[in-house]
Amino acid sequence: MTVSAPVLSVRKDGAPPFRTVLIANRGEIAMRIIRTCRDLGIKTVAVYSDADADAAHVAAADRAVRLGPAPAAESYLRADRIVEAALATGAEAIHPGYGFLSERATFARLVTDAGLAFIGPDADAIDALGDKLAARRTAHAVGVPVVPGTFEPAATDRADAVEGIIAAAERVGFPLLVKASAGGGGRGMRRVAAASELPAALAAGAAEALAAFGDGSVYLEREVRPARHIEVQLLGDNAGSIVALGERDCSVQRRHQKLLEESPAPGLTDAERATLHEFAVRAATAARLHNAATAEFLFDEDRRFWFLEVNARLQVEHGVTELVTGLDLVAEQLWIAAGHPLDDAVRAAAARAARPTAHAIEVRLSAEDPAVAFAPAPGRVGAWVMPAGPGVRVDSAIRPGERIPPDYDPMIAKILTVGPDREVAIARMSRALDEVVVTGIQTTLPFHRALLRSEPFQTATLSTAHVDLYWDGPGERARHVAKAAQAAATAATAATVAVVATAAAVVTDRAPAAGPAGAVSLRTDDASTTQWRQRGRDDATDRWPR
Amino acid sequence: MSARPQRVTIAGQDPQTVDAKASSEDERPADAGAADTPPAARAAIVGAVGSLDRDGRRRVEVVIDGWRFEAIVEDEARAALRDRASRDRPDAMAAGGPLEIRAIIPGRVVQVRVTVDDAVEADEALLVVEAMKMQNELRSPRAGTVARVEVAAGMNVEVGDLLVVIG
Repeated sequence: MTVSAPVLSVRKDGAPPFRTVLIANRGEIAMRIIRTCRDLGIKTVAVYSDADADAAHVAAADRAVRLGPAPAAESYLRADRIVEAALATGAEAIHPGYGFLSERATFARLVTDAGLAFIGPDADAIDALGDKLAARRTAHAVGVPVVPGTFEPAATDRADAVEGIIAAAERVGFPLLVKASAGGGGRGMRRVAAASELPAALAAGAAEALAAFGDGSVYLEREVRPARHIEVQLLGDNAGSIVALGERDCSVQRRHQKLLEESPAPGLTDAERATLHEFAVRAATAARLHNAATAEFLFDEDRRFWFLEVNARLQVEHGVTELVTGLDLVAEQLWIAAGHPLDDAVRAAAARAARPTAHAIEVRLSAEDPAVAFAPAPGRVGAWVMPAGPGVRVDSAIRPGERIPPDYDPMIAKILTVGPDREVAIARMSRALDEVVVTGIQTTLPFHRALLRSEPFQTATLSTAHVDLYWDGPGERARHVAKAAQAAATAATAATVAVVATAAAVVTDRAPAAGPAGAVSLRTDDASTTQWRQRGRDDATDRWPR
Repeated sequence: MSARPQRVTIAGQDPQTVDAKASSEDERPADAGAADTPPAARAAIVGAVGSLDRDGRRRVEVVIDGWRFEAIVEDEARAALRDRASRDRPDAMAAGGPLEIRAIIPGRVVQVRVTVDDAVEADEALLVVEAMKMQNELRSPRAGTVARVEVAAGMNVEVGDLLVVIG
């Protein structure tokens, strides 16, 4: 196997980049950042809401500070409290993770104004890239192909401008998308098939964008479909050096949320890969980006790349790049934030990036029901078994019996596999997913198992329309009903038999050794008398919807 | 003990009668998935097993190939007896008694679209509950008049909490 050896991101002088770092996040990403801090000898400060007082990231950190009640607006989005917590605990830097405050320029500014280091692109870069129109202009200005569309906000508030907008739309071509300049996650986005639908779509898109982001600016972009979604991992130091660390294919999505990612993107030639990486570095350099960021592109049927946007933060799926390059991106982020230049190991990985020698896949396991259009399915986890073994990595913060709060993102684990090529990575992922056991809540596991087995995925004929084209959730679930009924009847009967056996034992005052096989392990359920048994039963009852 | 036929009710499915096997003779799981489904994915994992309720029913959680099922299991003979008994009584549901609408997911109420005495159609949106960053509309299962509204925008609800009563 030619996977590169892990790079220990410890510099020769031996001192860590910071003494104490506060992690302004929760869940698996907080755990993941804490782990690297510990590897580097950095003390960690966790923050938490009331819903997370017993969460894994709180237990794992050296110190923990309560932020407020469960809603994110009153806890993980309280920038003022987070900076206060950092100052009170002697933290020198804040890592925002992804989501929450990670791409808010006001937060980055608040952090640096308090004399602390912000681990990620600075406020100016977040400002410049958070506005998607500005990012489009920046990339276009340096000759990076952007998705055909407009470069100025549509004047949705002026009746006399309608003709101008329709003329612009005709130049872009239909079908097109109305997109929010401040957008993300598909909000403010409308698909327009013909000119007649345009005025209504503009009004609706602008209203939704205003409600979601406080900015109603919208623009037009041609719909590139079918297309693959391919993004480039970037790392840049404070001196202006920027490198591409390979790309990730994130085409399997639903509601513009990614379900699976892999690196490298299958089927690209070395030349295509080198072109893509160069586009990304060129756009990032023009935006004066540093630290970790990701440039997103669409790849169309004619094998052309179109720039979409830059995410100025660590991505959820950064782990696949880590498995392919052998780097620890969070460690590199910390060194860069402390003022160090790009490490030799980073430059070496960048030099290899166009000819990758390993393949990694990530599956995002979520508390969602894939039979009901991926509706959220929060609740209390019962059993929780995650995979292990060669080439497997799991990033999660869930423990057996843990309650998944409805207040936050439904993702509960990232399962990653790596191998010398895509075939091995897929084989390991299939095996890893077979090892997963989660009870108590519905997860996206059935979707992921089916996806890994599907012909389009195995032959890498990927597109952002994959879920719509190939996934029949209700049908998949229905195939298992008869067997579920059989298993439930058997389990219920066994439980009843166990009670009878126990009752007989009590009457005769003898050990229940004569009970049927399986009765001994099951009898604790109904015959509980001691306190811990009662507690176990309470926990089990708690798992049922009341 | 010989296994007696069991009636199994899984949410969203018609009840079915199943011959339960004693746990010791649980043979290899058969054809739940496609022929190429690996054994680990085919096996039924039994999660929480509830205790017998007063009516002789037991709730059982089963997970097969990642799909989670909540089943209510009862002795078929006993269930049939109850069916006969209830057929002899006037049917409360058919008389159009009040219908309680309860939360099926925990979350935060972001919008209540009805007030007491509002007439609602079947499938009309009653309220919006936000869970995990997604907004979910709760719709009325049948037409009627709103008799009670138990929640207001901004309130947190847990699974099973009473939201609205349709009279």
